[in-house]
Amino acid sequence: MIGDTLELIVVAVDDIASSLRHVRLAAAGGGPLPPAAAGANIQLRLQGAARTWRNAYSLISPPGRRDAYEIIVRRVPESRGGSAFVHEVLKPGDRLVASWPSNLFAPQRTARHHLMIAGGIGITPFLSYVADFAHSGASHALHVCCRESETGTFAPWLQACGELHHYWDADGHRLDIPALLARQPAGTHLYVCGPAALNDEVIQAAANAGWPASHVHCEHFGAALSGGTPFTAFLSRSGIEVEVGESESLLEAIERVGAAAPCLCRGGACGVCVTRVLEGEPEHRDHYLGAAEREGGELIMPCVSRARSTRLVLDL
Amino acid sequence: MMQSQIVSRPRYRDLAAEDTAGTHLLIVEGDTLAAGQMAALATAFAVVAARLQTWLVSAPATALAPGRVRRLHTVEEARTALEHIEDGFGIADRLYLQGTEPFMWSLATAAGRAGLSPTQIRMQHAGSLKRRVWCTHCHQTTENVTTNIATCAGCARALLVRDHFSRRLGAFMGVMVDAEVPGEVPQREEVFR
Repeated sequence: MIGDTLELIVVAVDDIASSLRHVRLAAAGGGPLPPAAAGANIQLRLQGAARTWRNAYSLISPPGRRDAYEIIVRRVPESRGGSAFVHEVLKPGDRLVASWPSNLFAPQRTARHHLMIAGGIGITPFLSYVADFAHSGASHALHVCCRESETGTFAPWLQACGELHHYWDADGHRLDIPALLARQPAGTHLYVCGPAALNDEVIQAAANAGWPASHVHCEHFGAALSGGTPFTAFLSRSGIEVEVGESESLLEAIERVGAAAPCLCRGGACGVCVTRVLEGEPEHRDHYLGAAEREGGELIMPCVSRARSTRLVLDL
Repeated sequence: MMQSQIVSRPRYRDLAAEDTAGTHLLIVEGDTLAAGQMAALATAFAVVAARLQTWLVSAPATALAPGRVRRLHTVEEARTALEHIEDGFGIADRLYLQGTEPFMWSLATAAGRAGLSPTQIRMQHAGSLKRRVWCTHCHQTTENVTTNIATCAGCARALLVRDHFSRRLGAFMGVMVDAEVPGEVPQREEVFR
């Protein structure tokens, strides 16, 4: 983590749907928390019995609120354990170590119109966006793709939302992405946050329609994608060899053996954890490295990427 | 004079149509047109010809152009037309400008007010190197400057014309050249012909 950490205390947990848990966190020592703007997230250190998870969650509390941070966590069936821990173990009174808020997905202040597309739990950063836009009066529209049964789940956070549409997987209710993107005025900024397939489809559709890349913004939640075939990593500077298991990321394995590894987003987006590869072939899963850097094979983002070879030697 | 160590100094490149689904608007400063230039533009924009509008500003009546052609007399007229485009610009539209820097930036700043992003605007320089100069002392602009030292149209100071450029104002910076030793003004040279 970058900089100081925060000690938080769980004030309330509340199941808002069968797989969605709302968690309210305050400063463990009392007093105000550092302020966070729309789109910010915090990284929570979740201490299980056998292992530790560090997961990033978007703050859904209104931007600037300093009395509490609120997050919503979806329980993922093929969870690596972090979301299951939040759903099964976490209870009021528990203490958690968290990063300071960071923001890799802030709204564009020069936009004349904000067009948001959310997929599933990817709606969470937009809950703070909507609060921000309602406060500033900025023109906005939110298009939510979700299960039919969850169209009302986030209503408490969307009272002030301007234009709001829900879509689900049934004839006549699916979002026509190309049609939506075709009719937007100049000065619109597009934001998408959802599963990788939705993100990719929206980004591709925007490019096809002629949107300038400067007006298309995406937040991936890639940590769930960090598992895979086990391999060995050798940290050349510290002389440590570590086995990377199938359900943990390379970064988590590095942290498990106590090596220092800077990181921020834990989703392959920010570039803070970029590490030199001395031997072996990386399997790139990040959204940060360019095509040439990927081909070069000399850099890796350990938070999401893994190895094609059975062994990687890292400059750590 | 088109290259500079100063990073704010814009660089221009030959226009090429980007094949997007939106409207493509090409605005050409007619009196900078050289032989063969329009033919080159017609080739460069063939791919979007069906969605192309070309505005010819102060062009000879005989000039031909690709796409749907509109003729305008002055840059002011073109600027007003840009700001009042029916239904405004779309996110997939592109604006292409060709001409002198004061011409292109007059229109680019107007398009910006109409909502167009700089990433939707392309520019190719043609014609004179004359500059619009913004006085850092009285904040007035002086048009059609071709010399390295210009007399400010607002405050009459002798201004040294810098390569520092403001995209918001569409103008180069001018600073008083004899501020240290009043009256000591170097020889003027016509460098932006």
